[in-house]
Amino acid sequence: MSPATDSARFRTVADKVRAGEPLAFDDGVFLYRYPDLLAVGALANEVRERLHGDRTYFNINFHINPTNVCEADCQFCSFARLQPGMPQAYTMSLDEIRGKLVERKDQPVTEIHIVSGLHGGVPWSWYTDTLRVLKELRPDIHLKAFTAVEIHFFAEKYGKSYAQALRELVDAGLGSLPGGGAEIFADRVRRKICRDKATAEQWLEVHRTAHRMGLRSNCTMLYGTVETLEERVDHMLRLRALQDETGGFQTFIPLAFHPDGNRLDKLPRPTGVDSLRTYAVGRLMLHNIPHIKAYWIMIGLDTAQIAQSFGVDDLDGTVQEEKIYHMAGADTPQVMTRTGLIRLIREAGRRAVERDTLYEVRWEDDGRPLPGIRVEASVPYSRHRKRVELSVL
Amino acid sequence: MATPLRLCAVTFLNAWPLYQPLLERPPLDEDGEPLFSVEEALPSECARRLAAGECDVALVPVASYLEHPEWEVVPEVGIAARGAVQTVVVVSEVPLPEVTRIHLDAASRSSVLLLRTLLTTEGLEPELVPAPHGQGASRVRGTEAALVIGDAAFELPGRFAHHIDLGARWLALTGLPMVFAFWAARPGRLTEAHVRALHAARDRGIGQAEPLARRYCEQRLAAGLPAQDEAFYANYLRRTIRYRLDSWEREGLVEYIARSHELHLHDAGDVHVRFAAREHEGVAAARRARAPLRVDALLQRAAAGERLHLHEGIFLYEQADTLALGHAADQRRAALHPEGVVTYIIDRNVNYTNVCTARCKFCNFYVPPTRKLQEGYVHSKEVLAQKFRETEALGGVQILLQGGLNPDLRLEWYEDLFRWTKQNFSLRLHALSPTEIIHIAHLEDLSVAQVLQRLRAAGMDSLPGGGAEILHDEVRNRISPFKNTTDEWLEVMRQAHVLGMKTTCTMVFGFQETAEHTLVHLHRLRALQDEALARRRAHGEHHGQFTAFIVWPFQAEGTRLKLRDDTSPWRYLRVQALARLYLDNIPNLQVSWPTLGPEIGEVALRMGANDFGSVMIEENVVSQAGAHFMLTAEQIEHHIRAAGFSPRRRNMQYDWLPEAAQ
Repeated sequence: MSPATDSARFRTVADKVRAGEPLAFDDGVFLYRYPDLLAVGALANEVRERLHGDRTYFNINFHINPTNVCEADCQFCSFARLQPGMPQAYTMSLDEIRGKLVERKDQPVTEIHIVSGLHGGVPWSWYTDTLRVLKELRPDIHLKAFTAVEIHFFAEKYGKSYAQALRELVDAGLGSLPGGGAEIFADRVRRKICRDKATAEQWLEVHRTAHRMGLRSNCTMLYGTVETLEERVDHMLRLRALQDETGGFQTFIPLAFHPDGNRLDKLPRPTGVDSLRTYAVGRLMLHNIPHIKAYWIMIGLDTAQIAQSFGVDDLDGTVQEEKIYHMAGADTPQVMTRTGLIRLIREAGRRAVERDTLYEVRWEDDGRPLPGIRVEASVPYSRHRKRVELSVL
Repeated sequence: MATPLRLCAVTFLNAWPLYQPLLERPPLDEDGEPLFSVEEALPSECARRLAAGECDVALVPVASYLEHPEWEVVPEVGIAARGAVQTVVVVSEVPLPEVTRIHLDAASRSSVLLLRTLLTTEGLEPELVPAPHGQGASRVRGTEAALVIGDAAFELPGRFAHHIDLGARWLALTGLPMVFAFWAARPGRLTEAHVRALHAARDRGIGQAEPLARRYCEQRLAAGLPAQDEAFYANYLRRTIRYRLDSWEREGLVEYIARSHELHLHDAGDVHVRFAAREHEGVAAARRARAPLRVDALLQRAAAGERLHLHEGIFLYEQADTLALGHAADQRRAALHPEGVVTYIIDRNVNYTNVCTARCKFCNFYVPPTRKLQEGYVHSKEVLAQKFRETEALGGVQILLQGGLNPDLRLEWYEDLFRWTKQNFSLRLHALSPTEIIHIAHLEDLSVAQVLQRLRAAGMDSLPGGGAEILHDEVRNRISPFKNTTDEWLEVMRQAHVLGMKTTCTMVFGFQETAEHTLVHLHRLRALQDEALARRRAHGEHHGQFTAFIVWPFQAEGTRLKLRDDTSPWRYLRVQALARLYLDNIPNLQVSWPTLGPEIGEVALRMGANDFGSVMIEENVVSQAGAHFMLTAEQIEHHIRAAGFSPRRRNMQYDWLPEAAQ
């Protein structure tokens, strides 16, 4: 294609986006390949601002990874230690799990994100009790727990239907499902990087079941391993199809592959441009999913800041004690303060909004200086960024 | 013996730097008697007292002056803003065209006249009703808006759906600063001594932004009023309000008076602003035709390579969206470098000494001469030889040699070092920033040109553009008072160009500089490059020029500079994109990935930059203050490709190296 036909094609795609029409598979691949990165970013930003204005969401959360013992053998994982007793393998007792919350009992945490290995050597009750002990301590806290891969594993291991497993977990305190474990849906890729865990259909079926029960969930895509751009777009379209059916996804979270300490360590990390483009294409393809999240713990705070103009409206939370990515070489801080997140958002000329898991607003930045943010972002452009009503005066 | 002049000042925070120093250290006349007795009031009350003869000098709204052309104005001092002012705003819940009524703050007539001027220009006619000072905002509802001025406006951002800063709007309309108030006096009262005292007070006041902000904060808290962080107020005093009125402000002043007159908003006619001790030119003489500024149109022009004016640069810096700026810069980059190539260099940054007399507050690298025995170093030839050999082994073509201002190292030391380098290595010497050249010139009592000539004869190839920070003495005096001035820095580069050396130029942002400081920096570089290019056209290509511009954020960790400005990657990308558009005559723009990381570096390549800098075999200065990235040539090429370009190695002259040599 020549540059001229490219830009003509881009205008056609932009027209579709502005008209609210769903983009086709070819459009997605085209957006990935279109050389003008900023044009793609600006188009994604249009959608983002139409949906959320200047708001960038975050929440106050922490992670618990109750065990790293795992029956699955994923090539891209530096976290799972496969079997109990192997060096560095651990499984927390219920007291230890409770302890994680006790340590933070005075913090304004609204969510615990719980993701584990697939550990079949513990009774089913260990999983439900994990939720129960946390809820006993803080009934108001939201437990976003267990990926679809884990739910599928529970169903197989403990002889339950998805619905039954989910029902028992909800009874124990489950609030919603995180979006992990989706990786890339294409069989070719799954055979190479995660051959022995839930298939694409099973992953989607768990979310379908959860949505029908009224649970909300997130969805993810692991990019930067062995997949093609076409397989990424295909992945997005399968998520979009389920969303058309159920409307239960809140947020799409592209996850950048981290190569250290796992068996794909010959691969480079995804580049900054690849990450930004993936957010932008995600925003444009997934018109029916409300939020696009940049998980700063993987792409770094700097790229996360820029991502706010490439379709991203959510920067996840304060996190604390993330293990999975840090065992794969993430060099980001493990904890981000609330102030730090607000500053990051403000500097990019956005309005920080603290949300809970279900996107209820808990606090909204009104632009006044806050303790710990000594000088706000350079005065004129952040506050008046583009909303200067130039046509008015 | 003269009686002191009765002086009436405005209580608003923005007036503090002009009159608080008069209270702290009252200026005296030759006989030791005070020159002024000071009282405080709201702006409109100040004007009333002056008109009524209840005082002799007052800080008055410019609009009040229109009714009193007999007043004399103190020259070169006032309250102005070049763009957003923060404390003269219109707030509403609906867009302005839908507003039916605006509650006016009664305290300032200048702001009211400014608002009426802007409204009339737009053909809007909402009802204007006066409200007591400080009460306007509480009356905003539905289609009713308020004009809020003064300190009350600090509390407003985010409270209303629409928030219009009249300073910013005035700049957009006219391309000019807005003067809100100045010292006016009853005729015949002011003497030179008074004018000098008011200038001195202003200069002292500007330097006291922090203590004034702290006191203001404490006062508010003591009065049970909401207060912001003191840095917020200091920031406002230091970079939002401008207290010196130069010719640009005077143009703004004249434009304001004339424009509002044309709209029949006052009948003062052909006003001459009478400055004490000098007469300003008439209104008509200073006016030029002006079109309102528009972001889109400016970006389009700049992307096409048209030159931006200083005020247009300021306007874009304050108003343009970052992606839009970046996109225009990307187009400009593509026009300048259509090959789709991004270059990089293999060189080594060698800091030959860390002993330095400059004591810059932003530096975490230097050791003062008093501690040189404990912590100082000067690299021996053995150490340097080792570093140079390693550089050659890695395919390096150049040494970037910079160091502290070490009084023990004389010109001969450098000459010897350069000759020795050239005899033993095939490396180019990109050596000694202007600051070091000036230091050596002082030490040897030679001219800059003489020093450069001798160093060049000894083997120096080109000059790096370090030590520029912000090329505006208002900033330099604050952060590096013992270092060279802007003019001195530029003069070294001029001399180097005359001698035929190529040089780079830099900027470090994040010192609480204003948009104006940033743009003036770019403006002066561009002007010097114009000179260099003219010289090359007239006298031949052997004359030098700037090859590249590099900007990076101030790295604050561990330095003595306690300010915390915005040094985010977001701002970096803005400044860099704007630099690509403004510096239309400097061919190359280098990414500063060592301070920002390679991912932001990739994005920067899509926002105006065309060079990925150096592999950085070694770096000691910014890494001491928190920058920690290292990359190999292979990784650099990976990131260049990620951004959609072909990588190519270069030398300092930005010549591509043959592929075979790579």
